[in-house]
Amino acid sequence: MPAAPGIAPERVDQPAGDEAPERDLPWSVIVWNDPVTLMSYVVYVLRKLFAYDESTATRLMLQVHHEGKAVVASGPREKAEMDVHRLHAHGLQATMAQG
Amino acid sequence: MSRLHGLRRLPDGRLRVRLTTRERDLLRALPDQLRPILTGEEPAEQVRQRLFPPAYDDPVDELEYREMVGPGLVAGRVDALDVFARTLDAGEARLQTWTVELSAEQAAAWLSAVNDARLALGSLLGITSEQQWERGPDRSQPSSVALWYLGWLEEELVTALTGGLPDATDPE
Repeated sequence: MPAAPGIAPERVDQPAGDEAPERDLPWSVIVWNDPVTLMSYVVYVLRKLFAYDESTATRLMLQVHHEGKAVVASGPREKAEMDVHRLHAHGLQATMAQG
Repeated sequence: MSRLHGLRRLPDGRLRVRLTTRERDLLRALPDQLRPILTGEEPAEQVRQRLFPPAYDDPVDELEYREMVGPGLVAGRVDALDVFARTLDAGEARLQTWTVELSAEQAAAWLSAVNDARLALGSLLGITSEQQWERGPDRSQPSSVALWYLGWLEEELVTALTGGLPDATDPE
């Protein structure tokens, strides 16, 4: 027979989610629709800045066009801010939001 | 219009631009109009808000972002305008045709200048919905005709520069 049950020191319950403070949640980089910017230009910028292939960049552009916005990248705050900065340098309407 | 009119990507990666001298003169007027708007010398807050949109909803975060990147964003756009102006002063005019060859960097500066000019004109003309394009240009308004013309030129630039992108890679 095995030893008496009930002693399982390895089963210490982990704190559920308390270790993930809000500041660690990733940030989303969002491109917004604009009635003047050319669709082909949006595809070009997404390919140039994020190295997306043509079909991925086109899908994101169409999502911006039809739904008004699309998340084009995500990551830690510093990276998201750099991505927004590069999109702004190319004249796109970009914002960032956490979660 | 000659079949050579427009932009062509050369085998060495440079871009040959061939326009009428009238088009070239229209483009050459843009930098002097755009520069004071970019730098804030000319009050055009609505246009500046479109050219320099916010990054954050939170006003404190936005202020920090603006202080950090704002001057660089203006300087980068003004630099591109200067390259655009210099290359328009270069080139060669023969009869009514003007031709210049652009490096990839100069072509990127053209794209920046033309895109900014379109955003500024679109803002000044009050274009707030895509349906407004269905009417076509208002030929009684030079700025409306210019906006349509710049749309053609930007499509040409995008097509030529897309040919210079590295081979498509997987998304990050």
